[in-house]
Amino acid sequence: MELLPQALMDGILLGGIYITIAIAFSLTYGVMHIIDFAVGEWIMFGAFAGYYLNKWTGLDPFLLLPVVFIIFALIGYLVQPVIHRVLSGNKGNPLLMGLVFTFGLGIMFQGIALTVFGFYSNSTPSMFSEGSFFFEKFGFSLTISSIRLAGLIYALAITAALHYLLKKTNFGLGVRALALNRDSAGLMGVNGKQTGSLVYGLYVGVSAMTGVLIGCILSVSAQMGPEYTIFAFFVVVLAGMGYLAGVPWAALLLGMVQSIFLIYFNPGHTLLAVFAILYIILLISPRGLFGRGV
Amino acid sequence: MKDKSIRWGLPILLVLIAMPAVIHDAFFLRVITEAIMWIGLALAFDVLAGYTGYLNFGHGAFFGLGAYTTAILMMQAHWPFALALPMGGVLAGVGAFVAGLPTLRLKGAYFAIATWALSRAVQQLALIMDITGGPDGMRLPSFLNPQFFYYLMLAIVSVTFALLWFLLERSPFGLKLKAIREDDQGAMALGLNPTKLKMQAFILSAVPTGILGGVYAYWITFIDPASTLGDLVSDQALVMVVFGGMGTLIGPVIGALLIFAFKTLFWAYLSDFQLLYLIILGAVIALSVVFIPNGLWGTLRGLRFQKKDDEKKDEGLAAKLPQSEGD
Repeated sequence: MELLPQALMDGILLGGIYITIAIAFSLTYGVMHIIDFAVGEWIMFGAFAGYYLNKWTGLDPFLLLPVVFIIFALIGYLVQPVIHRVLSGNKGNPLLMGLVFTFGLGIMFQGIALTVFGFYSNSTPSMFSEGSFFFEKFGFSLTISSIRLAGLIYALAITAALHYLLKKTNFGLGVRALALNRDSAGLMGVNGKQTGSLVYGLYVGVSAMTGVLIGCILSVSAQMGPEYTIFAFFVVVLAGMGYLAGVPWAALLLGMVQSIFLIYFNPGHTLLAVFAILYIILLISPRGLFGRGV
Repeated sequence: MKDKSIRWGLPILLVLIAMPAVIHDAFFLRVITEAIMWIGLALAFDVLAGYTGYLNFGHGAFFGLGAYTTAILMMQAHWPFALALPMGGVLAGVGAFVAGLPTLRLKGAYFAIATWALSRAVQQLALIMDITGGPDGMRLPSFLNPQFFYYLMLAIVSVTFALLWFLLERSPFGLKLKAIREDDQGAMALGLNPTKLKMQAFILSAVPTGILGGVYAYWITFIDPASTLGDLVSDQALVMVVFGGMGTLIGPVIGALLIFAFKTLFWAYLSDFQLLYLIILGAVIALSVVFIPNGLWGTLRGLRFQKKDDEKKDEGLAAKLPQSEGD
């Protein structure tokens, strides 16, 4: 019982990071109507980019975030037209083919990562890595490591920026229109192709940046990808597909589950718990915790 | 049409039955046995992916479920193989029912990623349970009779093929599935029950997969989570079906033969570069989707039909040129 506040706190700090992934992931789904199976691999590549850039330049990972974002946003922007081509094909079943395509990309990325980076697990050092805040009140003690706090602040900043982009700019209006109805948005003058590329670039960039932080807080390894793909999916399903306001709560829940399993049970069982929750939610309320998804 | 399919199927079956009499090389027979197994797995995958339009990225989980069920029943409960094998199929079917219950009502994307998560969860479960031997896997009594396994595999896969051919190509069931694939809502409006039909297709896909898993376990005599439950089974089945041609029964067979031949050669000559195999697998999937979305067989058949259509059009135009100007 003494550890419960600590578990909840860790959950909040960790869950904050998942918000960023899930929002970007959800946006891509809204605009392109496919689930990107490579999301975990983008996170993994981002984590490695952070790790190696930090090694080569000696700069703090937090300072490298904009660099990583620009590199990966550019990659995403260049990859998206291929996905768009698959999705707008008239042969076969385009949506199915889009899924197959991103799945193939995911396998390929994993193979490349294992070839280039090997099977080792590393962690990116940061200036926040060492410090922590310690509280003690009412017989409970609470440790907040500064790196996790910095991660949460980053997540809040990114979430606020995405919120501003979506709700206050013309670009965001176009994105929301595309998510609502693709054809009508096109008739109203929204360039679906261009916006799709930009959103995909944004999503890949944000995922990679979050990957850098995951590399600082947890670890970097070539096999980490699939786990985060499932986490992203978990958050998005719990929130309700396309319902952005539900994302933070679902992400925090995921963080709680993960930290509670880390402290009270075997961390290897986390995935089973995640799957069990996912199964029950899909069975009882397939439109998410709030019943607001599509 | 029916005559034609028998005219093609029977000689191939006869050749396959006569094969062990000609080939005495145990290694070669083993390769052919595994090729037949992969044909079966690709066919089962295609029932859901090609005909129903639902991607089952947890195909490997059902394969592993069959393998582990058979192994556990034989080793812990001392059942004979002949009884344990059908139980592997039954359990895979039950697994499909349980997994399909929440997911088949939803859009295809949910199903794809939920089955993928399922396969990861099953992998975890096999790693931590005592009855499965955890990461060390399980050993089965070895039964060294290559011909027995060849004929068993051949029998199961040919029965599967015949059953699927009848159900999907020669009976309304296949048309119903295709209707759901093309338009879920439209099919419902025509009085079909999509969820029920999808569930039937899922079970139809899982049961042969589980049985093949059981045979595999007894044949290879050693199973562990990495080899039987790993993603490689699902990934390979997917690449075979996509490369060969989705939504047909011939496509997966061609895909399975080509990919398996490539895999065998690759592992024989380039086994130092195992990771490269993963990259090639992913690249083949992505490139097939972009360049031959109908797969090899679908593209070839499309070309042939197009030619026929063109000829027909020419003849038709020549015959009734005066009336059909408006077209």
